[in-house]
Amino acid sequence: MTTPEHLPPQTPPPGLALVRLFAPIVPSHRREEWIAEWNGELQHAWREARSRAEPALLTWMRLTLRSVGAVSDATWLRRHDGGFDMLSLDLKYALRSLRRRPSFATTVVLTLALGIGATTAIFSVVNGVLLRPLPLTDPERVVMLHGQPTDGDVEKVTDGSSFPDFLDIRAQARSFSRMGAWRAWTAVLTTPGAEPATMRISLVTSDVLPLLDATPIVGRSLQPADEHADAPAVAVMSAALWRSRFGGDPSVVGRAISLDGNPVTIVGVVPTQSALLGPTELWRPIVPDPMDRARGAHRYLIIARLAPNVTRERAETEVRTIARRLEQQYPADNAKRGARLQSLQDSIVGEARPALLVLLGAVVLVLLIGCANLANLFLVRAAARERETAVRAALGAGFGQLIRHLLAESLLLTIVGGAAGLVVAWGGMKALLALAPRTIPRADQVALDGPVLLFLLVISVLTGLAFGLLPALQLRRANVSLGGLRDGARGATTGRARRRWRTALVVSEVALATVLVIGASLLVKRFWQLQTTDPGFNPSGLLVAKIELPRSRYEKPDAVVRFYEQLRRDVDGMPGVQSSSIAYEHPLGEGWTSSFTIEGRIAPPQGQEPEARVRPVQPGYFRNAGIRLLRGRDVSEQDRGDTPGVVVINESFARRHFPGENPIGRRLVRGSWWPNFPSTFEIVGVAADERFMGLAASGAPATYFPHAQFPMNEMWLLVRASGDARALIPALRAQVWRLDSALPMDDVQAMPDLLGRSVAEPRFNSGLVSSFAGAALLLAAIGIYGVLSYTVTQRTGEIGVRMALGASRANVLRLVVAQGLGVAVVGVAIGTLGAFSLARALASLLYGMNGRDPVIFGGSALLLTSVAALAAYVPALRASRIEPVEALRYE
Amino acid sequence: MPSPVRLTHSTTLVLVALARGVRHGFDLLDETGLESGTVYPILRRLERAGLVRSRWEAVQHARAEGRPPRRYYELSGAGAEVVKEARALHPDAARATAPRGGVPRPRPA
Repeated sequence: MTTPEHLPPQTPPPGLALVRLFAPIVPSHRREEWIAEWNGELQHAWREARSRAEPALLTWMRLTLRSVGAVSDATWLRRHDGGFDMLSLDLKYALRSLRRRPSFATTVVLTLALGIGATTAIFSVVNGVLLRPLPLTDPERVVMLHGQPTDGDVEKVTDGSSFPDFLDIRAQARSFSRMGAWRAWTAVLTTPGAEPATMRISLVTSDVLPLLDATPIVGRSLQPADEHADAPAVAVMSAALWRSRFGGDPSVVGRAISLDGNPVTIVGVVPTQSALLGPTELWRPIVPDPMDRARGAHRYLIIARLAPNVTRERAETEVRTIARRLEQQYPADNAKRGARLQSLQDSIVGEARPALLVLLGAVVLVLLIGCANLANLFLVRAAARERETAVRAALGAGFGQLIRHLLAESLLLTIVGGAAGLVVAWGGMKALLALAPRTIPRADQVALDGPVLLFLLVISVLTGLAFGLLPALQLRRANVSLGGLRDGARGATTGRARRRWRTALVVSEVALATVLVIGASLLVKRFWQLQTTDPGFNPSGLLVAKIELPRSRYEKPDAVVRFYEQLRRDVDGMPGVQSSSIAYEHPLGEGWTSSFTIEGRIAPPQGQEPEARVRPVQPGYFRNAGIRLLRGRDVSEQDRGDTPGVVVINESFARRHFPGENPIGRRLVRGSWWPNFPSTFEIVGVAADERFMGLAASGAPATYFPHAQFPMNEMWLLVRASGDARALIPALRAQVWRLDSALPMDDVQAMPDLLGRSVAEPRFNSGLVSSFAGAALLLAAIGIYGVLSYTVTQRTGEIGVRMALGASRANVLRLVVAQGLGVAVVGVAIGTLGAFSLARALASLLYGMNGRDPVIFGGSALLLTSVAALAAYVPALRASRIEPVEALRYE
Repeated sequence: MPSPVRLTHSTTLVLVALARGVRHGFDLLDETGLESGTVYPILRRLERAGLVRSRWEAVQHARAEGRPPRRYYELSGAGAEVVKEARALHPDAARATAPRGGVPRPRPA
């Protein structure tokens, strides 16, 4: 069928305009002919009608009506003869040709399933943790107001704010529509007939629940009136506690529960997921206590919503101005205390971000390497099918059709690979969540949901295009219709171009693999360093449990001291217990800092005193935990509340404050929270550093006071078992309850587990990135092997000639291995440069470790090159065994 | 031989009209009394199934009448077979289309 020869223009008949309007619907290759057909009919009918002298209006209406039907014709053609339809034909063809080579199809699908699946699994975590917005209206407008040191000393100025500061900022700031203060607290819930349980409590001002969009399910929220000192004690309950402990009974509203022995009335229930600031079973109003009048007690976090039309920058400028004003007004407490805003989401997930992004980057690199390998496979296949393609072209297949066919094949494979990848992603996601360190926030938000599936679809299509398009581009350059048909013609130009492409692909594979291997080596080295770090204590057989005495029943310091001393005596006498001790906290617990001055030295200006960790202990703590005492003595039973104050300091303290001096006998002044207790403490001993800031961090100055002189209500019991530590737990619980039946013993943990958990994140990151690097190395080796095997096959004739002319087998071996090494060296060089610039991205995971470690860079380059040489050796061996006579005959 | 297209009443009307020698799109509309939105897709489907062939009218012929050439359709061998089947399925359709004037139009070359 051909379009009729062009004829002189006619006056357009009625309806032709409509036909032209519909024409774009018709597939382009049929459009011109289609218009011509309708034009022919319309012109003919128009002429006929006029020759019959039919009323013009009638004809006009009839023809216009008929032209309306052209739209059905056009859409039919689009549906059945458009690109989609052709694609389905291409798919059928692709399916047939893939079925002929199942091993090829399987290789491709498996590579894709693993690549796409692993990438999607990591992305599902990134999406749930980092990308999914918090369940709030305009979540980006909810911010945290953090304290910020103006001189960078984070020990002195933490994120927290004091209650007076909060009140001042709330009264002065105009940039916020709401502002509230939050603080975590715990209390013991006792119900008749049930085990006492520790409740995690959010102490909040009445603005916080509305800020978190927490609408009560039953009852009411907290109100400003609840914050008055003489208001009845009330609490709002989380839905989880309501269901688990109160059976979801709405009549719980108005009922009183017993918290630390005090009655508290439940006024409402809010959804569990409203606890964005920290896990919470109960929400209680802040009823200011004496400490809330102290401007130096920075124990609150401030949360706020920006007022309409106020930008974050403007709000930040305003809070900085207010902070400066407070600094001038209250230099003793607010010196060097600035303020900054951070979105609530960032403040929740901020720390997990770098690690997750590094993991995502690593897995994407593996996917890219996988793609490069597949592109190589497809190029080889395209070469093998050059003749078939040429025949199709000769039979009239257009360039577009040939490309479509190639793409259909790669898309088909990617769709199958993507579907299999979905299964891998699901399994991978479950495995990630099971293995991931518990420090990952918002892990409950991770799911294979819409955005993740969309991501999978997009990367599948991109992958399919990536490795399908390359052979297609090759096609454009090749003179398919002529070169390919000539018998035996290997298409010198095509071959060379293709070889260049394949070499480029392998070079990039090696480069990407180098980046991954170097990154993984850095992370593994870091993890190894942590693993072999001396923790400074002996964890084996050590159990640790927190025991908190409610202030309502243990008000007097004497009662507190007596309780813990009795507890330790009782536990020491238990069978299976080697020794026990009481401390705040334990060798891996960070604790808190407090300021002090050194007697006999010029006191620094108020507000700028040095800080040190405060760690009250009972005698025997160091021996029980296995911490070396370097100098002097431990605190002793004779150090009481009414005897002179003593303190043991650690190595870091001695190094920081008494460099080159003997600290024993010097005195620290820090005041006391309890009347008639020592406020000046003589240094009696120096202990080795504990790594309580984490194994990665170096020690920080710490002070160990006798518990009898520093009677805290919450202490940790450390028990060293002579046998299986965990078997002791029930007996320990029973022992605690014999002393006080209303005391919960939460969270009993074995020290080796705690130690393991403290390196869980580096272990997880380095393990995952290492497996990615291993996969990358393997894929790159396969890539080099593939390219060289193909080259050897192609160059059989040439190698035969060389050998006939006197080249030895060793010469040939060297020739091929050198080719492989050449590719590898270029790739390694590019990759090393890439890794150099990426080292900074890794810095946050390496904690000050040298991100440009020459040993690791050199070692990785050597590893990559050796693997490349090995991968090249196999085809080289084959080349060296070519029989010249055979090869020449083959040619 | 089973028909490669679904032999609906409308398809039968078109097939029967073609069998009687009606060749052009609009003439088929007149003959069958069907809408253009029905007849054209039927023609496309028949053509794709190989039951109908289409050609263009000779240019000289059209030029003589001072209009662009028209496309015409005719039954293929397979199409002629299917018409029998269609008539059997829809006897009423076979009756409904009596040839107008009774004389086949001259076939353009």
